[in-house]
Amino acid sequence: MELVALGLLVFGVALAEPVSRLLARARWPGRDPVGALLLWQAIGLAGGLALLSAGVIYGLSPLGAPRPALESVLDELGAGRLPALDVPHVVALVLTAALAARLLGVLVAVTVRTLRVRARHRELLDLLATPWPAAPGARVLEHPVPVAYCLPGLRSRLVVSAGVLDCLDVDQVWAVLAHERTHLRERHDLVVLPFVAWGATAPFVRGMVCAQFAVATLIEMRADDVAVRQASPKQLSGALGAMGGVAPAAALSSFTAALHRRLARIVEPPAPLPLALRALVRLIAGVLVAVPLLAVLG
Amino acid sequence: MPTLGELERAVMDALWSADAAVTARDVQDALAGRELATTTVLTVLGRLERKGLVTRERSGRAHRYRATASRADHVAELMRDALDATPDRGAALARFLGSIPDDERAALRDLLD
Repeated sequence: MELVALGLLVFGVALAEPVSRLLARARWPGRDPVGALLLWQAIGLAGGLALLSAGVIYGLSPLGAPRPALESVLDELGAGRLPALDVPHVVALVLTAALAARLLGVLVAVTVRTLRVRARHRELLDLLATPWPAAPGARVLEHPVPVAYCLPGLRSRLVVSAGVLDCLDVDQVWAVLAHERTHLRERHDLVVLPFVAWGATAPFVRGMVCAQFAVATLIEMRADDVAVRQASPKQLSGALGAMGGVAPAAALSSFTAALHRRLARIVEPPAPLPLALRALVRLIAGVLVAVPLLAVLG
Repeated sequence: MPTLGELERAVMDALWSADAAVTARDVQDALAGRELATTTVLTVLGRLERKGLVTRERSGRAHRYRATASRADHVAELMRDALDATPDRGAALARFLGSIPDDERAALRDLLD
């Protein structure tokens, strides 16, 4: 049992550090953003589960297989007796419980904060922005700086500033709205939320920060892909170019670099990943999550 | 039947175009075309007060209301939210031009001010 626990520990650490870093640097995700997003979710979930199950399995190892051992410990505790475990194993269990509480606690805290920011923003929007008849569901905010964004959630909002309507033609605005609607429809906010939360738990783990950034880039790729299909590459790249050129962030090197990568990908899209490889990516994602689950439950 | 959201907009517009703090009665008069009951105006003002958009002060026997910030200030707040979309705010809203990495956030703030 100790060996299984050690294996899971190594597996979890490997996912959090070298694997995340390698995947963040890989080029194929641009050819299959949806597959890559699934893989990132699997890595996050499997990494967390592996570390937690390593602690549980090691902590309970003197009592035999994890599941019956857990049941007997719960029975003992329920009867008011302490289970027969020595100090190192008890420490492992306590640390595991603390890690679980921390991961869940941060996720809840970030969710609450996000919902609060969104609710405040939506309240002000509903007072200040005017519905735009040309595009159902879109609102216009009277401000000369061009910005387009969506506020996700059950009561989602789609917003363009007056500056956008000044610097884009109607077809380009359509492409922008198609991009934003994809974020809303596919709930990309929920895709990024765990990475935002866990990036905040352990910002010193470089792999976590890479993951957060990579996932943020991938949802933009995915939304671009859909917008290109619903509008056209020319409209979307025209909108990106026009808005990027006058954006307040245009002087930031990382901003312009990211913008150029996005423009290049729209104008010359990389060949999609072959079907067999797409299937393989999804299979790997499933296996990653299954490993720690089988170790505990199997 | 106008929705509460529409009434809130109308009442805020009335407060924004008033020069000083006004009574609920003044708001009602400013929105005369809508034929609102005084209780309705008070309800809407109460909601806006709870949202922190309106403050109430007592002068003599009447309550006077004013907007806590100008329309332009609130628009600026929304724009700051939208332009300052760093990855750690990525879950709150999604911007067309993507998020700005943390290390360049300060530089962006300087540009906006």
